[in-house]
Amino acid sequence: MQGKNIQSRKWLHLLLNEAGIGLIFVVLCGLFAAFVPNFASLNNISNIFTQISINTVISTGMTFVILLGGIDLSVGSVLSLCTILAGMTITNKALPFPFALVGAVGASILCGMICGFFNGFVAEKWKVHSFVVTLGMLNIARGAALQISGSRTIFSFPAAFNAFGTMAVGGVPVIFVMAVTGVSLGHFVLKKTVFGRMIYAIGNNEEAVRLCGHNTRKYKISAFVLCGACVGVAAVMYMLRLNIASPILGAGFELSAIAAVVIGGTSMSGGKGSLVGTLIGAAIIGVLNNGLLLIGMKDFARQMVTGLIIVAAVVLDTYRVRLSRLFS
Amino acid sequence: MKKFLLCALVVSLLCVSTSSLAAEKKPVVGLVMKSLANEFFKTMEEGARKFAAEDGTFELIPVGMNSETDIDTQINAVENFITQKVDMIVLAPADSVGLVPSVKKAVDAGIAVVNFDVTLDKKAIADNGLPEDFLFVGPDNTLGSELVGKYLAEKLGKKAKVIIIEGNPGADNAKQRKEGFMKVVDAYELDLLESTTAHWETEEANTVMTNLLTKYPDVQGVMCANDSMALGVVKAIEAAGKIDKIAVVGFDNIEACQALIKEGKMLATVDQFGPEMAANAIKVGFRILKGEKVSGWEKTPVEVVSKETLR
Repeated sequence: MQGKNIQSRKWLHLLLNEAGIGLIFVVLCGLFAAFVPNFASLNNISNIFTQISINTVISTGMTFVILLGGIDLSVGSVLSLCTILAGMTITNKALPFPFALVGAVGASILCGMICGFFNGFVAEKWKVHSFVVTLGMLNIARGAALQISGSRTIFSFPAAFNAFGTMAVGGVPVIFVMAVTGVSLGHFVLKKTVFGRMIYAIGNNEEAVRLCGHNTRKYKISAFVLCGACVGVAAVMYMLRLNIASPILGAGFELSAIAAVVIGGTSMSGGKGSLVGTLIGAAIIGVLNNGLLLIGMKDFARQMVTGLIIVAAVVLDTYRVRLSRLFS
Repeated sequence: MKKFLLCALVVSLLCVSTSSLAAEKKPVVGLVMKSLANEFFKTMEEGARKFAAEDGTFELIPVGMNSETDIDTQINAVENFITQKVDMIVLAPADSVGLVPSVKKAVDAGIAVVNFDVTLDKKAIADNGLPEDFLFVGPDNTLGSELVGKYLAEKLGKKAKVIIIEGNPGADNAKQRKEGFMKVVDAYELDLLESTTAHWETEEANTVMTNLLTKYPDVQGVMCANDSMALGVVKAIEAAGKIDKIAVVGFDNIEACQALIKEGKMLATVDQFGPEMAANAIKVGFRILKGEKVSGWEKTPVEVVSKETLR
């Protein structure tokens, strides 16, 4: 009897500790599936996959930065700048398609990395909080995007590029495959590499890591560069999905990304969290957007309910942590 | 050497500024724009600059702002123009109520004020002691969306199932455009399945439309309050493989949508001749400066743009 009790307690602990926010996600999906017609249809699920892909990739980069106790407010603007550079490259008639494509993807990712490096370097070199630096970058990148494009939307990408964007592999949209690949890679880096473990260590106690003789500055700047690279990839995904590049897109993307990371259980003060959580966080936001609209909820109500559920999810999560401690 | 260069620079700058003051007794026109991030206002500003350069009889100082809702920047711009004692202020207000007190100050300072693009609130005008028929130069947004909505309804026939994608809740032109669409809904007894906002944004419109297609797979027409949202809507319909079943109309006539209309993926949009709008407002302002009494609504043209007109 006693043994069985301990066993079930262990299970509960494991479930609460590992599945965590996933439980809330499953309950949410179950509710929508039960009450909303078509929610669980393959077509709708595929749509949700497409809709969360871009946010998932941005949130992956954001997770690295937040794990270090930092923040990146510039992702939306940088994304827009990346699309402009990539859009100008891919629509350049002088380049044959394969070169234009490689050039566009390269330009986008490189642009993201440079902006990320700027963020990380300034934050580290002058010990400015990343909140401030990236707030600056938010304006720099937006201004640059508007300046370069002359406020104009770039369109008419090559047909092959647009066709690839709407492709699906066995019913799964290709951009979602890209997103999941990105998250998996990130997860591997965080859990299995020295770099990843150092991110957690620095997030937990930077001073201790520094006193151990590690160059924390290098790791912190790298995290911002990585975040920028993710934004560069997300920019290409945006272009694949909507076939435009625009200097005004991406406003508010930083907030969706931060929300996904935080709902996913990553601590804003750093050191705790995972990319599995972030993926589920992004999925929760996507499912809410989709499900509440399908229910027929009006604009303002939808906005309020989304906000409430975000807060509720995070509050519930604190109970989960307490409960799992109780059972351990 | 460095010091010498610096001195030379300062002296030459002084010369330039004094000479420009002395030589040019040209009237000064302050142009207060909305967000230059918006393609529509950007082309409008370029149109105004071009007009100023060709005309050559006045000096133009254009001011833009960072976002559609940046009211403070506009208020500051108007007050700076009052301090600089410009001859004319041409204003596209970001907020039809918030800018009225600044307009009153300018009028009191003897500056000719031309309100264009979005009309100032009638009640706020009266409350601030300005004449009720205060001059407004601009397009009829309601008429524009009504025209393009009619074009859609004629294609679809009476009682067709339609969706409206609205602009920012609270924005005046968003309200007016919805009003125009609603007139068409009433006149043609259309079945309005849903009317929802996508905040003028392409990505949001794409998400909203994709989800609405799940809910209403039999929708026949979509009326979008601007072209950026129409881009996202068309893409959503395309992805669902229904591009030849659902007709989309927009508003603004941006280049990207012209391409879609030519390809037959989008039905129509509305041109309100942005590049000429600010220039027209300045022209009306000069009539005031010459002593003419101008008031009421000087309407600027709106026109439906479709495959036929683009050829």
